Amino acid sequence: MLALLALLPGAGQAIYFRDRISWQSPIPPSELVSVEEARQWGDGAIWVDARPQEEFSRDHVPGAISLNEDHWNDLLPQFLAAWSPGKKVVVYCSAQSCDLAREVAERLRKEAQLPDVFVLEGGWEAWLKKNR
Amino acid sequence: MWRIVDFIVAAIFIYAGALKILDPVQFAHDIDNYKMIPWRAGVALAFYLPWLEIFSGLALIVRRFYNGALAILTALVVVFLVATVAAKARGLDITCGCFGHASQHWSFPAHLALDLALLGALIALCFARFSQARG
Repeated sequence: MLALLALLPGAGQAIYFRDRISWQSPIPPSELVSVEEARQWGDGAIWVDARPQEEFSRDHVPGAISLNEDHWNDLLPQFLAAWSPGKKVVVYCSAQSCDLAREVAERLRKEAQLPDVFVLEGGWEAWLKKNR
Repeated sequence: MWRIVDFIVAAIFIYAGALKILDPVQFAHDIDNYKMIPWRAGVALAFYLPWLEIFSGLALIVRRFYNGALAILTALVVVFLVATVAAKARGLDITCGCFGHASQHWSFPAHLALDLALLGALIALCFARFSQARG
Protein backbone atom coordinates (compact mmCIF):
# COMPACT_ATOMS: atom_id res chain seq x y z
CA MET A 1 0.00 0.00 0.00
CA LEU A 2 2.82 2.38 0.91
CA ALA A 3 4.63 1.43 -2.29
CA LEU A 4 1.51 2.28 -4.30
CA LEU A 5 0.89 5.52 -2.38
CA ALA A 6 4.38 6.77 -3.20
CA LEU A 7 3.76 6.27 -6.93
CA LEU A 8 1.28 9.13 -7.15
CA PRO A 9 3.41 12.06 -5.94
CA GLY A 10 6.43 10.51 -7.67
CA ALA A 11 4.60 10.50 -10.99
CA GLY A 12 3.39 14.05 -10.37
CA GLN A 13 6.91 15.21 -9.69
CA ALA A 14 8.21 13.46 -12.80
CA ILE A 15 5.68 15.43 -14.85
CA TYR A 16 6.59 18.70 -13.09
CA PHE A 17 10.31 18.18 -13.75
CA ARG A 18 9.93 16.86 -17.29
CA ASP A 19 11.69 19.89 -18.80
CA ARG A 20 14.63 19.70 -16.42
CA ILE A 21 15.64 16.10 -16.88
CA SER A 22 15.94 13.86 -19.89
CA TRP A 23 14.87 10.24 -19.56
CA GLN A 24 17.13 9.35 -22.50
CA SER A 25 20.42 10.66 -21.20
CA PRO A 26 22.03 12.12 -18.07
CA ILE A 27 22.80 15.25 -20.05
CA PRO A 28 20.04 17.90 -20.18
CA PRO A 29 18.75 18.61 -23.72
CA SER A 30 20.05 22.19 -23.48
CA GLU A 31 23.60 20.85 -23.17
CA LEU A 32 23.40 18.38 -26.03
CA VAL A 33 24.17 19.21 -29.63
CA SER A 34 23.69 17.08 -32.72
CA VAL A 35 26.43 16.49 -35.29
CA GLU A 36 24.57 18.57 -37.88
CA GLU A 37 24.12 21.54 -35.58
CA ALA A 38 27.71 21.41 -34.32
CA ARG A 39 29.05 21.33 -37.90
CA GLN A 40 27.01 24.43 -38.74
CA TRP A 41 28.98 26.34 -36.10
CA GLY A 42 32.06 25.92 -38.31
CA ASP A 43 35.05 27.84 -36.95
CA GLY A 44 32.92 29.11 -34.12
CA ALA A 45 33.32 25.76 -32.37
CA ILE A 46 36.21 23.87 -30.79
CA TRP A 47 35.92 20.13 -30.80
CA VAL A 48 37.19 18.33 -27.69
CA ASP A 49 37.88 14.61 -27.62
CA ALA A 50 37.36 13.24 -24.12
CA ARG A 51 38.40 9.67 -24.97
CA PRO A 52 41.64 8.05 -23.77
CA GLN A 53 44.78 9.06 -25.63
CA GLU A 54 45.10 5.79 -27.62
CA GLU A 55 41.62 6.21 -29.09
CA PHE A 56 42.30 9.86 -29.96
CA SER A 57 45.56 8.89 -31.65
CA ARG A 58 43.83 6.22 -33.78
CA ASP A 59 41.26 8.63 -35.17
CA HIS A 60 39.37 11.76 -34.15
CA VAL A 61 37.31 14.63 -35.49
CA PRO A 62 39.64 16.72 -37.68
CA GLY A 63 40.99 19.62 -35.66
CA ALA A 64 39.76 18.20 -32.35
CA ILE A 65 41.81 18.72 -29.23
CA SER A 66 42.39 15.87 -26.83
CA LEU A 67 41.29 16.64 -23.27
CA ASN A 68 40.59 13.78 -20.90
CA GLU A 69 40.42 13.41 -17.15
CA ASP A 70 43.48 11.14 -17.02
CA HIS A 71 45.78 13.90 -18.29
CA TRP A 72 43.69 16.95 -17.43
CA ASN A 73 46.49 19.17 -16.13
CA ASP A 74 48.79 18.36 -19.05
CA LEU A 75 46.18 18.82 -21.77
CA LEU A 76 44.17 21.76 -20.44
CA PRO A 77 46.72 24.46 -21.40
CA GLN A 78 46.66 23.53 -25.08
CA PHE A 79 42.87 23.59 -25.04
CA LEU A 80 42.79 27.00 -23.36
CA ALA A 81 45.30 28.31 -25.89
CA ALA A 82 42.94 27.28 -28.69
CA TRP A 83 39.79 28.63 -27.03
CA SER A 84 38.69 32.23 -27.24
CA PRO A 85 35.58 34.00 -25.90
CA GLY A 86 32.58 33.45 -28.10
CA LYS A 87 33.65 30.00 -29.23
CA LYS A 88 31.38 27.09 -28.52
CA VAL A 89 32.95 23.92 -27.14
CA VAL A 90 31.74 20.54 -28.41
CA VAL A 91 32.89 17.62 -26.26
CA TYR A 92 32.55 14.05 -27.45
CA CYS A 93 33.52 10.56 -26.37
CA SER A 94 32.91 7.19 -27.96
CA ALA A 95 29.12 6.89 -27.91
CA GLN A 96 25.89 8.12 -26.31
CA SER A 97 26.36 5.76 -23.39
CA CYS A 98 29.86 7.08 -22.62
CA ASP A 99 30.10 9.36 -19.59
CA LEU A 100 33.51 10.86 -20.27
CA ALA A 101 32.24 13.73 -22.40
CA ARG A 102 29.70 14.76 -19.76
CA GLU A 103 32.39 14.76 -17.08
CA VAL A 104 34.85 16.78 -19.16
CA ALA A 105 32.10 19.23 -20.13
CA GLU A 106 31.15 19.61 -16.46
CA ARG A 107 34.76 20.34 -15.50
CA LEU A 108 35.13 22.90 -18.26
CA ARG A 109 32.01 24.70 -17.04
CA LYS A 110 32.92 24.58 -13.36
CA GLU A 111 36.72 24.76 -13.28
CA ALA A 112 37.51 26.73 -16.41
CA GLN A 113 34.24 28.74 -16.04
CA LEU A 114 33.51 28.38 -19.72
CA PRO A 115 30.05 29.15 -21.07
CA ASP A 116 28.67 27.42 -24.18
CA VAL A 117 30.00 23.93 -23.53
CA PHE A 118 28.03 21.18 -25.24
CA VAL A 119 28.18 17.39 -25.44
CA LEU A 120 27.92 15.80 -28.87
CA GLU A 121 24.81 13.68 -29.09
CA GLY A 122 25.80 10.14 -29.99
CA GLY A 123 29.50 10.88 -29.61
CA TRP A 124 32.22 9.67 -31.99
CA GLU A 125 29.90 6.95 -33.34
CA ALA A 126 27.38 9.56 -34.46
CA TRP A 127 30.09 11.68 -36.08
CA LEU A 128 31.38 8.64 -37.99
CA LYS A 129 27.87 7.80 -39.25
CA LYS A 130 27.41 11.33 -40.60
CA ASN A 131 30.83 11.43 -42.19
CA ARG A 132 31.16 8.05 -43.85
CA MET B 1 11.42 3.47 24.46
CA TRP B 2 10.67 1.87 21.09
CA ARG B 3 8.42 4.77 20.17
CA ILE B 4 11.39 7.09 20.56
CA VAL B 5 13.37 4.88 18.16
CA ASP B 6 10.36 4.93 15.80
CA PHE B 7 10.37 8.72 15.83
CA ILE B 8 14.13 9.06 15.36
CA VAL B 9 14.27 6.60 12.47
CA ALA B 10 11.16 8.13 10.91
CA ALA B 11 12.57 11.65 11.24
CA ILE B 12 15.81 10.64 9.52
CA PHE B 13 14.01 9.07 6.57
CA ILE B 14 11.48 11.90 6.25
CA TYR B 15 14.33 14.43 6.30
CA ALA B 16 16.37 12.44 3.77
CA GLY B 17 13.33 12.03 1.51
CA ALA B 18 12.45 15.74 1.70
CA LEU B 19 15.98 16.79 0.73
CA LYS B 20 15.93 14.52 -2.31
CA ILE B 21 12.48 15.70 -3.37
CA LEU B 22 13.88 19.24 -3.58
CA ASP B 23 16.47 18.18 -6.17
CA PRO B 24 15.48 14.96 -7.96
CA VAL B 25 17.78 15.77 -10.89
CA GLN B 26 20.83 15.65 -8.61
CA PHE B 27 19.52 12.47 -6.96
CA ALA B 28 19.16 10.86 -10.40
CA HIS B 29 22.83 11.67 -11.08
CA ASP B 30 23.81 10.30 -7.66
CA ILE B 31 22.03 7.02 -8.45
CA ASP B 32 23.61 6.95 -11.92
CA ASN B 33 27.07 7.37 -10.38
CA TYR B 34 26.79 3.91 -8.86
CA LYS B 35 26.73 2.54 -12.44
CA MET B 36 24.48 -0.35 -11.42
CA ILE B 37 21.26 0.38 -13.31
CA PRO B 38 20.37 2.08 -16.60
CA TRP B 39 19.87 5.87 -16.56
CA ARG B 40 16.09 5.61 -17.11
CA ALA B 41 15.66 3.28 -14.14
CA GLY B 42 17.70 5.70 -12.04
CA VAL B 43 15.47 8.61 -13.05
CA ALA B 44 12.36 6.61 -12.13
CA LEU B 45 13.85 5.74 -8.74
CA ALA B 46 14.92 9.35 -8.19
CA PHE B 47 11.28 10.43 -8.42
CA TYR B 48 9.86 7.46 -6.53
CA LEU B 49 12.23 6.58 -3.66
CA PRO B 50 12.09 9.87 -1.72
CA TRP B 51 8.29 9.68 -1.51
CA LEU B 52 8.54 6.04 -0.43
CA GLU B 53 10.94 7.10 2.33
CA ILE B 54 8.62 9.87 3.49
CA PHE B 55 5.46 7.76 3.48
CA SER B 56 7.25 4.89 5.23
CA GLY B 57 8.62 7.30 7.85
CA LEU B 58 5.14 8.71 8.44
CA ALA B 59 3.78 5.17 8.71
CA LEU B 60 6.23 4.48 11.54
CA ILE B 61 5.00 7.55 13.38
CA VAL B 62 1.26 7.04 12.99
CA ARG B 63 1.57 3.25 13.28
CA ARG B 64 -0.46 2.53 10.15
CA PHE B 65 1.05 -0.03 7.70
CA TYR B 66 3.79 -0.23 10.35
CA ASN B 67 5.11 -3.68 9.40
CA GLY B 68 5.21 -2.74 5.73
CA ALA B 69 7.07 0.48 6.51
CA LEU B 70 9.64 -1.43 8.57
CA ALA B 71 10.16 -3.91 5.76
CA ILE B 72 10.49 -1.18 3.11
CA LEU B 73 12.91 0.95 5.12
CA THR B 74 15.03 -2.05 6.08
CA ALA B 75 15.21 -3.15 2.45
CA LEU B 76 16.16 0.41 1.38
CA VAL B 77 19.01 0.58 3.89
CA VAL B 78 20.30 -2.86 2.92
CA VAL B 79 20.26 -1.90 -0.76
CA PHE B 80 22.03 1.41 -0.03
CA LEU B 81 24.65 -0.41 2.04
CA VAL B 82 25.33 -3.05 -0.60
CA ALA B 83 25.47 -0.45 -3.38
CA THR B 84 27.81 1.80 -1.40
CA VAL B 85 30.20 -1.03 -0.51
CA ALA B 86 30.11 -2.35 -4.08
CA ALA B 87 30.88 1.11 -5.47
CA LYS B 88 33.77 1.50 -3.05
CA ALA B 89 35.09 -1.96 -3.99
CA ARG B 90 35.01 -0.93 -7.67
CA GLY B 91 37.00 2.16 -6.86
CA LEU B 92 34.18 4.59 -7.62
CA ASP B 93 34.53 7.87 -5.77
CA ILE B 94 30.91 8.91 -5.38
CA THR B 95 28.58 10.67 -3.03
CA CYS B 96 25.86 8.49 -1.55
CA GLY B 97 23.06 10.93 -2.38
CA CYS B 98 21.26 9.71 0.75
CA PHE B 99 20.73 13.22 2.05
CA GLY B 100 21.00 15.10 -1.22
CA HIS B 101 23.60 17.85 -1.25
CA ALA B 102 23.72 17.84 2.55
CA SER B 103 25.75 14.63 2.50
CA GLN B 104 27.89 15.54 -0.50
CA HIS B 105 31.09 15.89 1.50
CA TRP B 106 30.59 13.04 3.91
CA SER B 107 33.34 10.45 3.95
CA PHE B 108 32.73 6.81 3.13
CA PRO B 109 33.13 5.73 6.79
CA ALA B 110 30.59 8.36 7.87
CA HIS B 111 28.05 7.09 5.35
CA LEU B 112 28.69 3.51 6.34
CA ALA B 113 28.36 4.31 10.05
CA LEU B 114 25.00 6.05 9.58
CA ASP B 115 23.66 3.27 7.35
CA LEU B 116 24.74 0.60 9.83
CA ALA B 117 23.21 2.53 12.73
CA LEU B 118 19.93 2.86 10.83
CA LEU B 119 19.98 -0.82 9.93
CA GLY B 120 20.59 -1.71 13.57
CA ALA B 121 17.70 0.47 14.70
CA LEU B 122 15.37 -1.01 12.08
CA ILE B 123 16.31 -4.58 12.97
CA ALA B 124 15.74 -3.77 16.64
CA LEU B 125 12.32 -2.36 15.80
CA CYS B 126 11.51 -5.52 13.82
CA PHE B 127 12.43 -7.68 16.79
CA ALA B 128 10.42 -5.48 19.16
CA ARG B 129 7.42 -5.72 16.84
CA PHE B 130 7.84 -9.49 16.56
CA SER B 131 8.03 -9.84 20.37
CA GLN B 132 4.90 -7.69 20.78
CA ALA B 133 3.04 -9.84 18.29
CA ARG B 134 4.06 -13.05 20.09
CA GLY B 135 3.47 -11.66 23.59
